[in-house]
Amino acid sequence: MSYFWLLLAIFCIVWYSTMTFYVGVRGFFDIKEMLLALKSDETSSIKEE
Amino acid sequence: MFTHFTFLDAGIVGFYLLLTIIAGLAVRKYVGKVEHYLVAGREMNLYLGIASLAATEFGIVTCMYTAQNGFKMGFAGATPGILQTIAMLVVGITGFCIKPLRDAGVMTIPELFEKRFGPTIRWLAGVVIVLGGLLNMGVFLRTGGEFLLLTAGFDPQAFAQSYHLEIMMTILLVIVALYTVLGGMLSVLVTDFLQFIIMSLSMLVVTVLIFAKIGWTPLVEAVQKHHGPAGFNPFLMERGWEFVLFNLCLQFAVVLTWQAVIQRILSAKSTKTGKQIYMHTSFFFTARFLIPGLWGIAALATLAPEQIGGNTLYAMPKFLSTFLPTGLMGILIAGMLAADMSTDSAYMLTWGGVIYNDILAPFRRKKQWSEKKGVLINRFIVGCIGMFLLFYGLWYPLKGNLWDYLGVTGTIYLSSMSVLLIACCYWKDANNWGAMGAIILGALFPIGFLVLQQLPATAEWAQHVGPYKSGIASYIASGTAMIIGSLLKKFLVKKKEPSY
Repeated sequence: MSYFWLLLAIFCIVWYSTMTFYVGVRGFFDIKEMLLALKSDETSSIKEE
Repeated sequence: MFTHFTFLDAGIVGFYLLLTIIAGLAVRKYVGKVEHYLVAGREMNLYLGIASLAATEFGIVTCMYTAQNGFKMGFAGATPGILQTIAMLVVGITGFCIKPLRDAGVMTIPELFEKRFGPTIRWLAGVVIVLGGLLNMGVFLRTGGEFLLLTAGFDPQAFAQSYHLEIMMTILLVIVALYTVLGGMLSVLVTDFLQFIIMSLSMLVVTVLIFAKIGWTPLVEAVQKHHGPAGFNPFLMERGWEFVLFNLCLQFAVVLTWQAVIQRILSAKSTKTGKQIYMHTSFFFTARFLIPGLWGIAALATLAPEQIGGNTLYAMPKFLSTFLPTGLMGILIAGMLAADMSTDSAYMLTWGGVIYNDILAPFRRKKQWSEKKGVLINRFIVGCIGMFLLFYGLWYPLKGNLWDYLGVTGTIYLSSMSVLLIACCYWKDANNWGAMGAIILGALFPIGFLVLQQLPATAEWAQHVGPYKSGIASYIASGTAMIIGSLLKKFLVKKKEPSY
């Protein structure tokens, strides 16, 4: 049973490292996109008023 | 007490805090509507969603209870994490409940309930969600403060007699409240992203160091020596089946209805993005139990019983205080501060959102509030929650296992809300009688258990019953009440419009 936990622990570290790097890069662009969308939403609301 | 915490570490922590405040406050100018404040205008994309969900669902309190599970139960203590991974994967792939919920375009779960069960149930669901959520969150600050002080090398006896913990908790809360009150979900998302990276790096570095310095074999030997085969297999533990069954119900309910988790689905750009966030984040929930669990096991392997004292919750931070070298100590504390702040901010906003959207809903029926007024009221509510946390966190005496406390307080609403959500989405005969019964009975068992646990006359009996039985009973009672109540109304009351 201890081998199950060893494999799970190793997989956790490898998976988590990969996810941190990938999400770190792609998440930055998501923030940029989100703020741009909100900015244009705000501008169109002002125009409508 | 000997520690490796130096001015270099303090500098790292200070730099991180400054960075968070700047990032959190910078986005407040984008908040123009209540929808921006509560669900970031539903513009959150996949990777930001993953970072935010992971950061929100990992705080110092998580690190403390998962490490305590590792210390007290061995590897088997990570079982709830594995169960949550399964639950997230199943729900993410199938879209069970979360698809109709996101498609409905609501901001909170009770808002969906109003369409099916009427305004009273919406209001009552809001009250139960806030009650369970705030009681659950009430222990976050003190536990977080204890971790930070112990890791930095303060003696628990010393900080019990001084105000170090209270002062630190207050400063931390003020910083978090500042950017959450002003920027709402937008600040939460941006700071969550930053906090996810710092928190993840620190967790990975510490775990790799434990593997390198202590090794795997001593960890396995320590678990074998203290817990025997039950340390590897949860079914062999005392009350093992109860533990697994309760956690299975709890984790499915969390995945379906924990407002802090669901808010990521509701803020997602689309239903597909929401489902993807669940699928891609699912394995994180195993990691969040297993990684700090390994830290707890490392404490078990390396510390003598007299070093730990009576409180097993302190074992892991005491271990880290002497294990980590200078520099890495600062990175860890910055990482854990990040974890704590992201959780606190998201939770404050989450419960605040329910208070505004659902509990205050009757006040908006006659005349809708303007967006400006709505944002202002939301900010006021988040500030009030911060005040509540400060005072409740100071006086509530935590008894027993931290994970059990969180499980029991969470069950106050998780049991009934998961039943209501499933019935609302998939059972056409479900109505407000069943919903009312489910809410009342779902809350009765966990609240009863908490009260009995605190009373001297009944504490022993409550200990005998245990948190798992009361938790399981809550899910069964809630489901039964929904079925019986709904069928009763169907047969006893003549149908008239509007029918709830």
